[in-house]
Amino acid sequence: MTEIECEVIEPEVLEKMENIVVFMCNECGQGSANTAGVARMAYNPAIRIVRVQCTGQVGPIQIMDAIDNGADAVACIGCCIGACHFFNGNILSMHRIKLLKKVFKELGYSDQFVNQYTARAGEGETAVGDFEDLVERLATAIREEGTVKDGC
Amino acid sequence: MDVKVFQFNGCNKCFNESILLKGDSDYKVEFVSDPKNWKEQKADVSVITGYLLPDDKEILNKIKVNSTKMIAYGDCTTTGGVFALSNQRGHEVTPLQGIVDGVINVHGCLGEIEELQSEIKGEELPKLKNLCTVCGRRKTCDYLEQVKRQIELDDEETCFNDLGYLCNGFIAKECKERCIDYDTPCRGCKPTIERSGVRMLGMFGTLMGNIEVATEHSEKGATDKLADRDDDITESLPDVLGNFFRFTLPTSGLPKGRLTSSGSLLEDVFMGRLIEELPLISGLLGGDHSITLTLKIIETYEQANNIDVSETTKQYRKNLLNLESELTEAIENKDPKKYKEVTDNIRKIAGNMNLSNLYYGGFKTQINDKDNFEQYKTHVFDVVEGTYKNGSVEFTIDSTGIVKEIKIKEG
Repeated sequence: MTEIECEVIEPEVLEKMENIVVFMCNECGQGSANTAGVARMAYNPAIRIVRVQCTGQVGPIQIMDAIDNGADAVACIGCCIGACHFFNGNILSMHRIKLLKKVFKELGYSDQFVNQYTARAGEGETAVGDFEDLVERLATAIREEGTVKDGC
Repeated sequence: MDVKVFQFNGCNKCFNESILLKGDSDYKVEFVSDPKNWKEQKADVSVITGYLLPDDKEILNKIKVNSTKMIAYGDCTTTGGVFALSNQRGHEVTPLQGIVDGVINVHGCLGEIEELQSEIKGEELPKLKNLCTVCGRRKTCDYLEQVKRQIELDDEETCFNDLGYLCNGFIAKECKERCIDYDTPCRGCKPTIERSGVRMLGMFGTLMGNIEVATEHSEKGATDKLADRDDDITESLPDVLGNFFRFTLPTSGLPKGRLTSSGSLLEDVFMGRLIEELPLISGLLGGDHSITLTLKIIETYEQANNIDVSETTKQYRKNLLNLESELTEAIENKDPKKYKEVTDNIRKIAGNMNLSNLYYGGFKTQINDKDNFEQYKTHVFDVVEGTYKNGSVEFTIDSTGIVKEIKIKEG
């Protein structure tokens, strides 16, 4: 098993991030996760992957659905910029997530509860790296500003 | 049939509009402007207007027990309305459906009296179309190059969204107020679907496809990720909540806001809004005094920044103020005929009861065919940072035009 260096997260913070929903596109995102699986790379067990055809089909409504139904954070992982297997789904998704981030900021929350990453299908470490970055940012946000559920 | 109309908190525009129910002889109408001291009585239909707070729960339950049918009239009671923007700062404006069950909703800001009448009588409502299908403008759905904040139009055929002005018409039903006829993009006071703001956010985000979004290199993933810094997307929409969720914040499924409150609910509604949206927001929530309040805000900014106002504009504004005092009189006398007459006259000048036609420097559309429209046409103005004060209104805006502080005395 590949050992990955990881920042140590306190148990009380880990408790607050039990469900991180990650929408992964069928091409690069899920491809990368598959490669990571073949290479037996480890990642945080809180990550719940939802396979979608393209991140372009994930909008604020699906993200808010996930959060309303108990997700602690949501992220999309799509193809690299310019490499969307459709046309520009990953970029459109980024636009919408950027606006949603602004909504969270305007409500007085951290903007790290929604995020978008990219991955390369051939390299499992890109997806695993994205997961780690996601967990790390989320841990910082929870330490500083609490979770989104505090306000619900 | 016994109909009781209750006015809770906030602007009493919908409550005043319900005076028109008196013109209908099918039922007896009673107005309760102070529900806290209301003596319990049976009623066939209870109409609730005004925004609701958790404190009102007890009295609302009493009304529910005593009435056969309960109707929420106007956006404040159906989806939270404009006052619910204060939820961003920790207030708890709640729609009626969140407090009692089995409520009939009549959406709209201002709620439509014809719809209310049909609901009271239990008639079937005409099926309303989407606003875009009745709008004179046509959409192209091309990606935008730029989002524009202030309206400056020569084009009367292209959809507002395609011209770069955010319009919530996609998620709205056709309505009587029709802000879109007065060069004012829709803000979605009659939503066609639930969580309309979130859906519109997705729609407009997609339309912004050609505007560059900031990305950054992610060390761990060794690929690009969405950057956290401000970019053209966030800078072109400085107030997402105020524009997308103007009427539906509590019902949109977003978490409760936790910004610091300024103490007053009315002032919290204005905090964080944009200078170019202020006249419309004050027109929405001013109730009896909406014309005074809106003109006060407009004139304060005009005077401080030397925006020229023509004599014609001044005359029309004076007419509006006179009409407002006539309106107050009609409301006091509960005179439906007079009320109808005065509001029709207000609509002629201001476009609708939300005062969509009023703006800085003049009016957005021509009022009278005989006028020379160039004399009182509005134009794009500069956003100037500073504190503006004029009698009862005082507000501070920052360089992007966001209201940072506001003080409104009475009204």
